[in-house]
Amino acid sequence: MSSPNDPGPAAPERLPHRLYDADGNPTVDRPWIFRTYAGHSSAAASNALYRKNLAAGQTGLSVAFDLPTQTGYSSDHPLALPEVGKVGVPINTIEDMHQLFEGIPLAEMNTSMTINATAMWLLALYIGVARERGEDVRRLQGTTQNDIIKEYLARGTYIFPPEASLRLIAEMYEYCLDNLPKWNASNICSYHLQEAGATPAQELAFALANAIGVLDTIRERGAVSPERFPEVVGRISFFVNSGIRFIEEMCKMRAFVELWDEITRDRYGVQDPKQRLFRYGVQVNSLGLTEQQPENNAWRILIEALGVTLSRKARCRALQLPAWNEALSLPRPWDQQWSLRLQQILAYETDLLEYPDIFDGSVVIQSKVDELKRQAREEIARIEAMGGIRAAVESGYLKSQLVRSMSERVSRINSGELVIVGVNRWTDGLPSPLLTGEDGGIFKVDEAETRRTLEALAAVRAKRDPARVAAALAALEDAARSGKNMMEPSIECALARVTTGEWADTLRRVFGEYRPPTGVEGQRLYVDNERVAEVRRRAEEFVRRTGHRPRIVVGKPGLDGHSNGAEVVAVAARHCGFDVVYSGIRLTPEEIVQSAIEEAADVIGLSILSGSHLELTRQVIEGLRAAGAGDSIPVIVGGIIPKADHEALRALGARQVFTPADFDLADVMSRIMDVVEAQAGVSAR
Amino acid sequence: MSELDRLLEGAIALDKWPLARLVRLFEDPRPAAVPEKAAAIAGLEARGAAPRAMVAGYTGTPGSGKSTLVGQLAARLISRDPAATVAVLAIDPSSHRSGGSILGDRTRVHFPIGERRLYFRSQASDRELGGMGRATYPVVRLLERLFAYVFVETVGIGQSEVEIERLADRVYLVLQPLGGDQVQFMKAGIMEVPHAFILNKSDVGAAARRSYHALRASIDFARPGEASPPPIFRTSALSGDGLDDVLEDLIAHRSTHDAEARRARDCYFFEKWVRDEYGRFGLDLLEQQGGADALLAASGSFEAAQAAYRAPVAPPAP
Ligand code: B12
Ligand SMILES: Nc1nc2c(ncn2[C@@H]2O[C@H](COP(=O)(O)OP(=O)(O)OP(=O)(O)O)[C@@H](O)[C@H]2O)c(=O)[nH]1
Ligand SMILES: [Mg+2]
Repeated sequence: MSSPNDPGPAAPERLPHRLYDADGNPTVDRPWIFRTYAGHSSAAASNALYRKNLAAGQTGLSVAFDLPTQTGYSSDHPLALPEVGKVGVPINTIEDMHQLFEGIPLAEMNTSMTINATAMWLLALYIGVARERGEDVRRLQGTTQNDIIKEYLARGTYIFPPEASLRLIAEMYEYCLDNLPKWNASNICSYHLQEAGATPAQELAFALANAIGVLDTIRERGAVSPERFPEVVGRISFFVNSGIRFIEEMCKMRAFVELWDEITRDRYGVQDPKQRLFRYGVQVNSLGLTEQQPENNAWRILIEALGVTLSRKARCRALQLPAWNEALSLPRPWDQQWSLRLQQILAYETDLLEYPDIFDGSVVIQSKVDELKRQAREEIARIEAMGGIRAAVESGYLKSQLVRSMSERVSRINSGELVIVGVNRWTDGLPSPLLTGEDGGIFKVDEAETRRTLEALAAVRAKRDPARVAAALAALEDAARSGKNMMEPSIECALARVTTGEWADTLRRVFGEYRPPTGVEGQRLYVDNERVAEVRRRAEEFVRRTGHRPRIVVGKPGLDGHSNGAEVVAVAARHCGFDVVYSGIRLTPEEIVQSAIEEAADVIGLSILSGSHLELTRQVIEGLRAAGAGDSIPVIVGGIIPKADHEALRALGARQVFTPADFDLADVMSRIMDVVEAQAGVSAR
Repeated sequence: MSELDRLLEGAIALDKWPLARLVRLFEDPRPAAVPEKAAAIAGLEARGAAPRAMVAGYTGTPGSGKSTLVGQLAARLISRDPAATVAVLAIDPSSHRSGGSILGDRTRVHFPIGERRLYFRSQASDRELGGMGRATYPVVRLLERLFAYVFVETVGIGQSEVEIERLADRVYLVLQPLGGDQVQFMKAGIMEVPHAFILNKSDVGAAARRSYHALRASIDFARPGEASPPPIFRTSALSGDGLDDVLEDLIAHRSTHDAEARRARDCYFFEKWVRDEYGRFGLDLLEQQGGADALLAASGSFEAAQAAYRAPVAPPAP
């Protein structure tokens, strides 16, 4: 600024609405990284997709892995078979990883991997590829998601108990600090919490408490010297959600920035403001994207993108957008391109990147930010008082808070208090031309690719040096037991062509497995209308006519971690007078059958959003038949079930099929009562 | 063979689906179900399936780890004793005003698939305060004829202990360590019933050690001068520590109600059934019919006595 007393030699005038670089010259911002979350079928198919996306102007990679890879099973494991390549790319050995990144120079790329329980393994494979190609490992840039806390709470691809999981995370930070200085060893995620129902204050508080948990763990381990600890703090990055209430969301981002600055300064004594920056990537909200009138989702995605780009101070570093057909299937390449174009228009056509922060000085915004910060601080204090994030996970507190928020959300949608256009308001619309193409607007995985994956796996097993494999696994187990860093042994496993299943099984043996609390106990719905009363009346009548209360086993077969739907159905069923058995996610069909048989259930309600509904439903129905209950316990199925598969499910024996369009819970429960009454040969109607 | 006969044969072979359907029959509170229950018991007796189980009760504070513990104990028991069979009946206190409940106990238990020697069944307590439901005793009467051990899990919060004491051959009170300055462990009432105490979650460290001493002191205070003070087992249902000691205790006290004790038990629960179903007036009628003891003796079984009991005629509907 020039001052009137000292005009100085022709100091250029600085306008508050313009951006200037270090030399005082006008400038504009560089755009954030454009990402598209992608991967499916096989390493080869995904590689082709990545190359196409990069050619289209995408500036970073975001890898989606299939569920077996995420939960530590090789593709040929019985639990894996129905899910190979369905929702992401299958990676069994370093050969698959070579294939996945063929023609893409790793040192030039910024690669984000949505990988958690097996994050150390996938990073080891990535490093292994770079080493075998002769690329400079120190230049590798990117992120392994590697946040297990939110897996327990919302995402479901956990394997090991909390203590072992935190150790794996900490060891990756410790390793990267020295060896991969540009790698984000983990990404603290609040994205998934919002997708599981979290309010903005919960998103802030749970994510920040999680980051504190990780940093405290690293500090207590003492492997990083106190002098270098601020560097670790500086490596913490976040993955955040951006919902449809975009003003509040923008304020939430600013609250994140301010709170993180405070925490890193006050709790960890970090002096360098750069190391206190809240660095974050975003995927915008998908929970609110609807099956009904799916074209409306395009607007929702645009509005949500504004929430994380408008405020320069709280602008994301990287952005990935879902597609208009989010509630129907995985996106097709064209759908992804359409979403990518949104980002390009926002960054290059509009004037967004020309301004400093446009909200600075707004009393309204600051007041909202302060309110969110206050609420978040209170919640963080509550978590600390419970003994920190780990204790709050183990006791079930955090999960039950989320299920409660989700129950409130669906209740408000049911009552019409929360307006969702096309769902509970303005529901009559013209048919969408987007759905009338040959493929119905839906992506279909090429099942033939699974064979290629299995063949590749078998070929590696046949070719590799068994002695080197055995030695590498023994070294890994030794490190796991003795407390040594497991990163180098994992890289040796990668080079020795160990499989994903072998790596994970070795650690399962040492650490055991873990199932977090489900959070559904004690929950209620907030819907009390005439139709709910009617279902309850029918339930009471059922009790009178049969001598027992209608009993439902809500089951999540397979590796699918989407729990919202099952939780909501479980809570709603109880609300309507059912006795409910719900044992959480990731059960085998056999386990679900056994529960239903032992408990003499009146109906099994499967919830499947992983695309494996045909195979898993078949397994459950066959299991019931084998146990002699095939004709006695009806099976219904809900989830992401493409229209084309409804008939096939019914042919298998499913009595009813539900999709996201069935948001009206009184109606869902009434249809379940229909099935239960018909089976028992009683009817209250 | 009749349908009931098929169910009985299947249940005796511990085939789960017939077994589960029989349990459903015994949960049926309606008078109309009584003759079939009586027939089922008679059919079991005729096939030599007399009561043989040791009934162990696990009661205690909510969330103290009862389900996890019971699941672990059952699994350990069958792996160390090839002849052992265990049924777990878990009474869940959660009940909504809709009447529905979420049966959460099962979530904690992971039994091997297809293992006939283990059977887990959840039951909703129809009481507001938890404790045993009205279907608990009838189902135990069924299960004790089919399994060597019947474990019953209930939430104990003060009043239901008396019932579990009547029901079980041995009662364990499961507690978890208390935080910091909570000296007094619990009201005296609850401390008097159990044969043994289990202080679970001993893996939590210092609090567990402090709690052990606090508990010992509370027991001494509540039960002064007892010749052999009840044992306290320190366990971790997560790590498995201490579980074998509980099993030793269980096996050492493996006794089943003798005929005398069983009659007394039947009497108690028969009166309770009459009271629950027909109130004071029903009890008066029971006296007029000679009392529970006589009715049970004359009828041959609990269920037959239920069939024989002449209930008050319901007042005409308004
Ligand atoms: C929320 C969400 C998540 C959350 C889940 C949070 C949680 N704890 O549930 C998070 C962010 C963690 C997540 C992660 C992933 N997700 Co997701 N997710 C969604 C999303 C946006 C909404 C699902 C939801 O919760 N809806 C709200 C609930 C209440 O509705 P619902 O489940 O549909 O249930 C209703 C009905 O379907 C029905 N119903 C459902 N089940 C049952 C059962 C019974 C018995 C009955 C009667 C009724 C019923 O009634 C319910 C009430 O209305 C959908 C897309 C969409 N908009 O639908 C994608 C979606 C399901 N996800 C998808 C994918 C691929 C994933 C990932 C596998 C990605 C990856 N490769 O890593 C991960 C990993 C998850 C895992 N471990 O399996 C795909 C699935 C594609 C497919 N099946 O072909 C979808 C369709 C998005 C897409 N287009 O790509 N996801
Ligand atoms: N640390 C620790 N946690 C345990 C132990 N046993 C059980 N838990 C945990 O305590 C919580 C409650 O366990 P449950 O087995 O459901 O307890 P419960 O007494 O049956 O609970 P209710 O039936 O709801 O009263 C779960 O999160 C268990 O994982 C233990 O020995 N140590
Ligand atoms: Mg329990």
